[in-house]
Amino acid sequence: MGTSKATDFVTMNIIESSMISACREMGITLMKTSYSTIFNEALDFTCAIASAEGEMWAVAEFCPAQIGGMPLIISSSLKEIPLETINPGDVIVHNDPYRGGLHTPEHTLFCPVFVDDQLVAFTVAIGHVAEVGGMVPGGFASEATEIFHEGIRVPPVKIKKRGEDVEEVWKLWLANVRTPRYNYGDMRALISGVEVGAERLAQTISKYGVDHFRKICADLMDYSEARMRAEIRDLPDGAYPFHDFMDNDGVTDQEIRINVECFIQDDEIVVDFEGSSPQVGGPINATLGVTWSAAYNAILHLTDPSIPKNSGCFRPIHVLAPAGTVVNVDFPAPEVGGNTETHPRIAGAVIGALAPASPERAFASEGGTHLNFVFGGQDKANDEYFACYDIEVVGWGATRHADGNDATDSINGNCRVTPVEVFETRYPWLTEEVSLIPDSGGAGATRGGLGTRRIWTCLDAEITCSQLTDRHVHQAWGLNGGGSGTSGMTLYMAAGSSEWQNMMQAFGKSSTSKWSNVVIKPGDRVEIVTPGGGGYGSPAERDPELVQEDLAEGYVTAERAKADYGLGAGGD
Amino acid sequence: MSRLTVGIDVGGTFTDFVAYDPEGKEVTVWKNLSTPANPTDGVLQGLKQLTDSIRNLRLGTTVATNAILERRGARVGYVTTKGFRDVPFIQRGNRKHHYDASWVKPKPLMKRRDCFELDERMLASGAVHKAVDPAEVEAMAEEIAARGGIEAIAVNLLFSYVTPDHEIAVRDILAKALPDVPISISYEVLPKWKEYERASTTIADAFVKPIVSRYLTDLGTRLKERGGVENVAIIKSNGGEMTTDAAAASPIHMTVSGPTGGVVAARHIAAQLDVGNLVTFDMGGTSTDCSTVVDGQESFTTNFEIEFGVPIQVPMIDIRTIGAGGGSIAWIDKGGMLRVGPQSAGANPGPACYGFGGTQPTVTDANVILGRISPENFLGGTMALDMAKARAAMQAIAEPLGLGVEETALAVLRIVTNNMTGALRSVLTERGQDPRDFALLAFGGAGPLHVADLMGEASIPTGVVPNHPGQFSAFGFIMTDARVDLERTVQMTSSRFDLDRANEVMGQLVSDALGNLKAQGYEQGLSVSRTLELRYLGQNYELEVPVEFETFDAETVQRAWATFHDLHKARFGFNIPREVIEVITFKVTAISVRETPHLPTLPKASGAPEPTAHRQVHYDDGALQAAVYDRASLGDGAVIEGPALVEEPASVTVLRPDQTLTVDSHGNLIIRNR
Repeated sequence: MGTSKATDFVTMNIIESSMISACREMGITLMKTSYSTIFNEALDFTCAIASAEGEMWAVAEFCPAQIGGMPLIISSSLKEIPLETINPGDVIVHNDPYRGGLHTPEHTLFCPVFVDDQLVAFTVAIGHVAEVGGMVPGGFASEATEIFHEGIRVPPVKIKKRGEDVEEVWKLWLANVRTPRYNYGDMRALISGVEVGAERLAQTISKYGVDHFRKICADLMDYSEARMRAEIRDLPDGAYPFHDFMDNDGVTDQEIRINVECFIQDDEIVVDFEGSSPQVGGPINATLGVTWSAAYNAILHLTDPSIPKNSGCFRPIHVLAPAGTVVNVDFPAPEVGGNTETHPRIAGAVIGALAPASPERAFASEGGTHLNFVFGGQDKANDEYFACYDIEVVGWGATRHADGNDATDSINGNCRVTPVEVFETRYPWLTEEVSLIPDSGGAGATRGGLGTRRIWTCLDAEITCSQLTDRHVHQAWGLNGGGSGTSGMTLYMAAGSSEWQNMMQAFGKSSTSKWSNVVIKPGDRVEIVTPGGGGYGSPAERDPELVQEDLAEGYVTAERAKADYGLGAGGD
Repeated sequence: MSRLTVGIDVGGTFTDFVAYDPEGKEVTVWKNLSTPANPTDGVLQGLKQLTDSIRNLRLGTTVATNAILERRGARVGYVTTKGFRDVPFIQRGNRKHHYDASWVKPKPLMKRRDCFELDERMLASGAVHKAVDPAEVEAMAEEIAARGGIEAIAVNLLFSYVTPDHEIAVRDILAKALPDVPISISYEVLPKWKEYERASTTIADAFVKPIVSRYLTDLGTRLKERGGVENVAIIKSNGGEMTTDAAAASPIHMTVSGPTGGVVAARHIAAQLDVGNLVTFDMGGTSTDCSTVVDGQESFTTNFEIEFGVPIQVPMIDIRTIGAGGGSIAWIDKGGMLRVGPQSAGANPGPACYGFGGTQPTVTDANVILGRISPENFLGGTMALDMAKARAAMQAIAEPLGLGVEETALAVLRIVTNNMTGALRSVLTERGQDPRDFALLAFGGAGPLHVADLMGEASIPTGVVPNHPGQFSAFGFIMTDARVDLERTVQMTSSRFDLDRANEVMGQLVSDALGNLKAQGYEQGLSVSRTLELRYLGQNYELEVPVEFETFDAETVQRAWATFHDLHKARFGFNIPREVIEVITFKVTAISVRETPHLPTLPKASGAPEPTAHRQVHYDDGALQAAVYDRASLGDGAVIEGPALVEEPASVTVLRPDQTLTVDSHGNLIIRNR
């Protein structure tokens, strides 16, 4: 038996890398043909391969927020579109948070892969489409109080049947969004991506034969499961509690508790969110798929990154999320911010909980928000409506061995910021400044990463803006004696004024971090400050040479170098 | 009378030499050990064996690349628009890997304290929002001088690709005030949008300028002392040559110098074979390079990162490197899976069979165990290999796998083949190419060993092993032309296309490119080609559309749009005929053709080729007796049926049992599946 087992490991290596290269190819098609900058500059999408039952077999590295929820999306969809009704050439689209989805902007496309007349697999692309209708241009209706405010819900439907576009679905969808030309391009890209992947995967499956291929994929999931169990076994058994807070939900000024207790026993982990706040009126509720993704994301950060990513990894991880809470929301509450804002808070809480068990890999909290600044208006030059979803980057938490990275996308994304020169070519803003913020990283033996500042002036159009962010109040926590990162801020200065105000002061909004449909006029300015990351270990233990270097480079000011690290004045 | 053309490729371990004598139509190849402390020592040493004088000496060098990778360049002062000094530090905000909390974001090639901001601003439209104040620039120059230690300056102002006036004004003032400090301005280095990528490229240019300049001056002096060398040129990342003066002025064009020779040679081989499409497979000890020749032309990119977070986006041949080669180590991971690489045994200790102390099994050890490399005839018999050590190393991983030593070695090769297939696929399918339309050109020390297996796995019907596979880049240098690629972002759309502006921009690029060649003294065989980078309005990546007319007018521009719709359909499977097209980049290539070598041909083979030996070679289907041939003995038209091996000093070509090899009139080995 030894021989057959060994041969499998070799073929498994080969099939896994073939699947990943098919996923990458899907991703490249998406990147090159899509229209939204959140897609093609920020790369906010995921490409994966799933079994006909919805188990994930392989995924390419693009955006990690989405992988944990994928099995739920597919299994939910198959309840409404039974497998036997799916034909070659069909493509299914879905975005409904209340049918296993993550949030309305995230559209999941999947394409069946048939070999020898059997449906063996699906190629899956999940992408963030910037405009989905609803209360605000750009998808993030931060004052929404029900799902219907958040844009068009797309239950699982076929957008292509046997290779032909289903015109009715296209018409219905495009009639409900503000930027149909862009949405058309993004949807075409998603379809093209899953079709390219399906073609490539079919070749691989044919080569090995359906049964052999399925067997190898089953073995591959077992292998990842075994690797994950071995990692968990290395962590000491015990109960590990932690909690963090969201500032508010955008509707009511009340903090929201994310409570977690992780139980490690031998080679399994239970992640229990009992004690988290009941679901809230505003749009930061997380669907179960988001909470799964966040818990998995945290644990993947604390274990060997080389474990192949598939559903097998998640078998030893059990997530308990009570229904009706902020981590498992019930219909019809709003939830668009759950996927971007609540996810990092959940993932951070799990990392915080497990830090005593995994001190080498755990890290202090990162800024934990994507800033989600969305806006729309009339493009005079091209005589059409534009909508943009802009993300900003944050300071990351320090690890035991290194300072936190400056200006890096939060843990549930891996998005890129849009270049100023591309941004200003497309949108009527003038950027005055894009900078790192000194002293924004939490003090520590290793220091938290720095947040950023961006200042815009509105040029020659009225722009309708909304934002859904967090950590204006509750800062990124440090670990083992490390200090917190500084808070984020969003400020506004009216044309002709010289006073910066927050959105509560300027527009009477309920929250400084979550506000909708503010009309910015020519000459008005907006400043977005992103949170810094937490520090690790006592600042007293920081190497004085590193403090000197930070001071010389302007990462800390002389004042903080003295206050936090005791560096004497003029000690250059 | 000077007559030779000599190509020299300075690598990490060896410096390769190829000399072409146009009178005798002879090609001579040799190599000697590189001298990393001063690479010019190795070059001069190797030239000692030439008695004829040299007309053209062309050098591929890693001096700029190594300076960047080892962070050994100049202290750079960075000058930018007020509010934007942190752009090189913020970068794009993405991480290299998900889930790896130990990843540390790279810092740029200069210190934050050496960044200087100017209160000036251009707009996307090209309008001046805030003019440059010369007094402010003069004060900045004083500050830089007073600070001391700044060895080079990079200037990158927002929207300089739209209107370079501010950058040029700043450069002129700084140059006057700081005459000894070299200055790189982004408009000259890379007049394209995206401020971070342009900053990184411009900073890298300034960073390597002093070190490259010193290196080239020293090289020039020592070649002059030696005497007998008429022209010295440096190979650019675009596969063309440039004078040493041009190289010193824009060293950023040298970052991928050496490997381009293999691709240029591939273009000539494609012509020799009369095939349009080749994919190159250059496998060495620690890394493998892949690239393509499509319709007889090399493929180019401006999307290169020398390492994660350090983009260098000047136009260059699109060569993809993966960190896997003959020295890659096979190992068993924590879950029991067999893996190959990315760790490499390198040259020291090297594979276990080298006997230099390596104990971990490598790809080369697998090839020795399987009978593909002869322990007695490695590197032309100059280095004996230790089979027992190779087997002992492989045995250590065979046991946990429950496999025999040979089976394990075969498994290692299967995984290598699959990894290489991924690399080939990435260069082909990312451009929408079908592997079945290509021939696979294998070179480097290890390429010919793996070509036969790769053909099957990658669905490539024909394999080719050219002459001089071990010195193939240097071989390419005897065929290079002088080449300048210029491009500029000038955004417009098909619905409102400004014919005058388009003609002005393209005309300027053409005259700049030709002017650049002529200023270097390249006057003969000049030709120009033009392309546009287009996309649908809203997309973010462009397709390159050839412009086969000299002037944009109402009629010709329609042809460009039609071509784009066709290309989009061919590449991505769909197009949007009613959609507005956005123009992003205007591009021009100017070439001055150098002499084309007349490569020697082989005498006709007389009868069937004679094997020098037979030995047992392990294939997936079992062990077979393979005939072994000496490549030097093969004539034009010789036919060899697999299983077989063709040995030459630099490499071994392996033939599978189901393959036939023929030798063409130039000596290329052509492999086909039966």
